[in-house]
Amino acid sequence: MTVMTQTGGLPATASTGSGTGSLFDILELILDRGLVIDVFIRVSLVGIEILKIDIRIVIASVDTYLRFAEACNRLDLESGRKAPDKLSDIVGNIVEGGARGKTEGAISGALGAISDVFDRDDDKDK
Amino acid sequence: MSTTSPAPAPGPSLYIYAITGSDHPLRLEGLRAVGGVSGVLRAVTGGPLACVVSPAPPELRPKRRDLAAHQEVQERLMADGAVLPMRFGMLAPDDAGVVAALDGRRAEYVRRLEELHATAEFNLKAARSQDDLLREVLTESDDARRLNERTRDGGGTYADRVALGELVARQLDVRQGLLADQVVGRLSEMARGKVVAAPAGEDFLNASFLVERGRAEEFSRAARQLAQGYGEGYDFRLRGPLPPYSFVA
Repeated sequence: MTVMTQTGGLPATASTGSGTGSLFDILELILDRGLVIDVFIRVSLVGIEILKIDIRIVIASVDTYLRFAEACNRLDLESGRKAPDKLSDIVGNIVEGGARGKTEGAISGALGAISDVFDRDDDKDK
Repeated sequence: MSTTSPAPAPGPSLYIYAITGSDHPLRLEGLRAVGGVSGVLRAVTGGPLACVVSPAPPELRPKRRDLAAHQEVQERLMADGAVLPMRFGMLAPDDAGVVAALDGRRAEYVRRLEELHATAEFNLKAARSQDDLLREVLTESDDARRLNERTRDGGGTYADRVALGELVARQLDVRQGLLADQVVGRLSEMARGKVVAAPAGEDFLNASFLVERGRAEEFSRAARQLAQGYGEGYDFRLRGPLPPYSFVA
């Protein structure tokens, strides 16, 4: 089990509130919630609309079914939790949103793409 | 998104961060603006309300640096009082436009600021190991187990594999929904409000809670204990206190 808590809202200690991991987890709040004043312009930002794709739609596809079937076939029921959990061993509790897991749907792909955009932009800034 | 511009010729010139009461201390010094420049944040005041703005950057894109700047302004403001955080990317034509927008909905914004006084948002995301969920389904469902045995090592038909996948997908959905309801149910009583959204990736939960400042410690502790109770194979990520993004729309 991993429990991650992040305390934001602390005056002036910027690094606590806005580390890479924590920012990733509140992306949708910053981009997709918050107050909108309808007489103002909201710039159309690449990638924002993608966040709205409903994961449930993605799940109901033959392609996903086949991947689930494959994942079941691969499971070694006997070994139970003693089987080495490759993902958690490597990733630990680093939060990469949809980037982990075998059944990566459109949402996780989209989130991945958005963080790629950040990375590219940030590199360009240097 | 919204594209209708009230200011035709020069284009928008102000980036909008948040609305506060005009009695808010508005300690904006030292903050970086969206666009990367420091020392350019200021407040436009209209009656009982103030709006925090900076010159709009020439090219606005959701860069990590700019999202962080937007968020840091909210964090600074919420440390001193109630705040209505804007969604990232709002632009206004000029000061007069901001004042007009504040005036137009003055009563509503004042009421929201009062309602949100001394509260903060906590966002909780949670995932459960997919292998554990699959094992649980295969252990508890005879049909799933039978189909799994038939399709192992390349056996069975295409239809068998689709049937297995569909059965398992439906079961995962149900189980994840139940888990989400459980967690939300246990934490709701400590919150003044909640917004449950569609989880992304392998998460089964994506919920925001509006929590009174006086109960923030208690809420975090409860969430942590809850997470520990679920044990191995679960991953809980609690973020907060945050500006109330989910409770101003």
